Amino acid sequence: MNAISSFFRGPYYIALYTYREGIRRKMLIGFLVLSLLVIFGSSFISSFLDPSAETDIDLKLIKDICVAAISIFGVLITVYISASVVPNEIENKVIYTVLSKPVGRMQYLLGKFMGAQLIIIVNLLLMGGLFFMALYLRQGIMPTLLLWSILLTYFEFLIVSAFTFAISCAATTSLVPIMGGLFVYITGNLTEYLKDVENRASQTTEWLDMIIGKVATGLYAVLPNLQNFSLKTQIVNGQPNDPLLDVFIPSLLLYGSIYGLAGFLCAYVIFWRKEV
Amino acid sequence: MSTAISTQNLTKIYEGALRGQDVHALNELSLDVEEGEIFGYLGPNGSGKTTTIKMLLGLIFPTQGTIKIFGNSAISSAAVKKNIGYLPEGAYYPDFLRGEEILSYYGKLYGLRGSDLKKRIDATMDMVGMQHARKRLLRGYSKGMRQRIGLAQALISDPKLLILDEPTTGLDPIARKEIRDILLRLREEGKTLLISSHELLEVELMSNRVGILYNGTLQTIGSVDELLVKREMTVSVDGIDDGIASELSSRGITVEDRTGGRATLRIGSTLSIYDAIELCKSKSLELNSVAPRRETLEELFVRVIGAAEADRR
Amino acid sequence: MEFLKRFPNLIVIVLLILVLIAGIAMNLRMRHLRESEAYYRWLIAAAVSERLFQDQEEGDQDGVLFSGSVAAARESGIFFDYLDGDSDSEDISLLGRVAKDYQQDWRIWSFARSSYAAEQRQQFLLLAKERKLRFAQDIQYAEAQAGDVNIFNLFFGFRKVAANLVWLEVDRYWHQGNMYRMITLMRTCVALDPHFVEAYIIGSWHLAYNATASMPDTPWPRRDWDPRYQVCLGEKERFYYYAIDFLKDGIRRNPRNYRIYFDLGFALYKQKLEDYANAVKYLAEAIALPHDRWVPRQLFLCQELNGQYEEALQGWKDYMERYPGSMTAVEVAPRFILRNQGLIYEKRAEEFRIQAKQMTDATVSKKFRKQAEENYMLARGIWNELSDPFGEGRKMRMEALDMREEGRYLEALAVLDKARWDTAALWQEFSDLIIEIKKEAGISLSVSEKKAVMRDSEVGICPGMPKEEQERRLHTIEDIKAGL
Repeated sequence: MNAISSFFRGPYYIALYTYREGIRRKMLIGFLVLSLLVIFGSSFISSFLDPSAETDIDLKLIKDICVAAISIFGVLITVYISASVVPNEIENKVIYTVLSKPVGRMQYLLGKFMGAQLIIIVNLLLMGGLFFMALYLRQGIMPTLLLWSILLTYFEFLIVSAFTFAISCAATTSLVPIMGGLFVYITGNLTEYLKDVENRASQTTEWLDMIIGKVATGLYAVLPNLQNFSLKTQIVNGQPNDPLLDVFIPSLLLYGSIYGLAGFLCAYVIFWRKEV
Repeated sequence: MSTAISTQNLTKIYEGALRGQDVHALNELSLDVEEGEIFGYLGPNGSGKTTTIKMLLGLIFPTQGTIKIFGNSAISSAAVKKNIGYLPEGAYYPDFLRGEEILSYYGKLYGLRGSDLKKRIDATMDMVGMQHARKRLLRGYSKGMRQRIGLAQALISDPKLLILDEPTTGLDPIARKEIRDILLRLREEGKTLLISSHELLEVELMSNRVGILYNGTLQTIGSVDELLVKREMTVSVDGIDDGIASELSSRGITVEDRTGGRATLRIGSTLSIYDAIELCKSKSLELNSVAPRRETLEELFVRVIGAAEADRR
Repeated sequence: MEFLKRFPNLIVIVLLILVLIAGIAMNLRMRHLRESEAYYRWLIAAAVSERLFQDQEEGDQDGVLFSGSVAAARESGIFFDYLDGDSDSEDISLLGRVAKDYQQDWRIWSFARSSYAAEQRQQFLLLAKERKLRFAQDIQYAEAQAGDVNIFNLFFGFRKVAANLVWLEVDRYWHQGNMYRMITLMRTCVALDPHFVEAYIIGSWHLAYNATASMPDTPWPRRDWDPRYQVCLGEKERFYYYAIDFLKDGIRRNPRNYRIYFDLGFALYKQKLEDYANAVKYLAEAIALPHDRWVPRQLFLCQELNGQYEEALQGWKDYMERYPGSMTAVEVAPRFILRNQGLIYEKRAEEFRIQAKQMTDATVSKKFRKQAEENYMLARGIWNELSDPFGEGRKMRMEALDMREEGRYLEALAVLDKARWDTAALWQEFSDLIIEIKKEAGISLSVSEKKAVMRDSEVGICPGMPKEEQERRLHTIEDIKAGL
């Protein structure tokens, strides 16, 4: 027990430090302010609409736009932060002072990763909080489904974050991992396409096509599929025929955690013999 | 006295894209740093000093060879690292923290907590003379203050071994002096210091021993007194003129710094000091002083590097 | 030694491999869940459509797949309690009956993801990919399953935002009065976001109300026969049916949203088409789902208009129990309970009267007559208690009927004529009764009454009408003329 707590003490301080340092980034604050503006501004979009239609259409507009804004800006923040926490320390050589302390590389990575998650979570909570308030003021009831949506969004970001982090561990500047992170996000959303490849390949008997089909099947099985999280856009509007949340939400949380862990372990495998 | 750092055949090769492009950053370095000494680790830029230090700290990994720190070869283990303080060259310290917050952060990484940590922060702040600025944000620090905070973070755990990479580079003379005083005090406390530098005068003033590295190979190592041999004597005289000067020169004596009748004579190895004094006496020169002339580290450095350069060609 | 040194990292690598294997398992599980979900949505859509619309289209394979699924469901044993009374005589299949109750959806879901449905699910995915299924075409998940690299996939789930932006454009066209463009764009909008319930509702409202507001009635000879709805459509009516189709589309994609059912029943069938049978059908669907408290009221009104007094009465009573103290329960419900009660007594009285007339046995006839009289008394008592224009109207109607019984036709007509001016809600009913009495008394009808008898919806003839239908209508005209 004592060994475990002393193992996690280092990562804890590193995470706190990473958080304090990261939250001050100008780029991050820029993204955050933009997203908050969009979320705030979405409340006024209903002025474009025909006021004679007495429905909740503006509510739907607010919800959809806010969820999209949180997704877009959230991903930008996630990628930016995950890609830069480690390379940034390499660049300004703080990493030398930290790694020369009695801190293992696993502890260091864990601390950095947790710090990045903390930043992402805080940003998500800020965006989600404003969104929540906008809805609450407009609707007068607690939009509880929104909380699920934000939770799912976070677990989607966890996957993006972990793999971006892994890429960043191989890099010395943050530019490449930022590109890599966006690539992870885009590919993660396009893995459905592999199923189509698989389907088409199954219709021929050409051996090359069959191999491609097999590769597509394999890749589809291994790669994280972010489209699984499209439920998050679905549930904010709370339709009665929404898929059964009690099956999907725990599965998705587990899904996000597993791929998050996979990404983190990849990061460690890359980092443990890295020459800084 | 036991050995603080000991390396055997330490070699680092950075692999290039092609076989021929490999960079030999360090060749079979065998180095011992004794406990309680200040070891000056010298060499021009790119000679492999920082590579060595990074390997000592486990930041990069040797291609070949072994490292033992305080007799322990598991240099990445916490037990070893607890005893090492490291000041990297040109590191950045976060602007948004106060001086003491930075020390507290690094102290916690060493596992210090509570009143221990507070005591250490106090002691370290005293040591580097930063008590007055400990509550200020780093944003307002001067370069010298930052370097002192850097030194403080290396000292926070009261380590037995300090590895300092270019501790005085870019500082003004007063700051250099202050840092130098701190380091000397540390030696008095019994710490072992490995100082990498190309500020030769600094090193000469502080080190017990020096090693000169060039192109990845250790060219020479030894105590400062041994290395800087007293090979020549100088005689300061009055009443010299051109005729005498040219005669002295023909006898193997170099005449330097002539101002009027006064000059300094450097006696070459071909002539004994007694013969030289005889000679001066015969020329009726008035002797002001007779002194041995010690070689400067700079001269040694240039000589060693020059020889190595010549060898390479 | 070397091995031991690397040991902690070996653990990490082994862990990574394990996690990746877990990831694969999770990926397969998510794939299964999402495929099952698409299938489940389709099952419910198909089941609801089977029960409500029965409009299989050429080329769609929904029907075949659905009956296959029903067979699999029957064998699964999940719906054991629905198997009783499962006979061929019923038009509605097992799943159709299960889907009637939304609270049973979880059972359909457990069927959809079970191995019993594996074969059907596979077939569903295949057909959905080939776009041969009608109800699955726009289900978002199914489309993602289909995996076409279409423009939608590039939205990364921002299709809903795109739908909203398209909707703003729809709104703009509406302000410009550009109806036909609006319709196209509305379809784009709901294709982008099939769960955009507001778009269906506002869209249908635009179509049925705002678009038709300035349209003139189309004379019958210029109307067109619509084979699907079996009616002649003028310009206005065409828009009503556009709206109906649009809402039905919405129901297929959102079979568990009461608001679309409500709008279909109330705004279209009741208000626009005055088709109370259909209005009751869809409003009943609406209240079978979780709904707001203003919904049931319209159902009860439609039931009353459709002559289902007992159901309306029961409905109002239930409503009072469910929402005691609500404004409707306190101020509206009691009046309507009385009203329906009165109508029931009236109806019974008339039935007894007819029975009494048919009886040859004088004593039995007398008994019936007495029962009729008793019911009349009860009804009258209620109308007195109600003491509003409706009650007064009903009383006058009863008076008129009494007069008719006694052969005082002209007096009866006079009473009814006065009554229908007093109570607008009863105008249609009383006008019809006047014609009936006139016919019974052999009094010739006025021009407008003659026209009313020849209801366009029954005898109107328009181009494109099939021969048989045209002939049927011509016969009806002759029959009516003979009756006069």
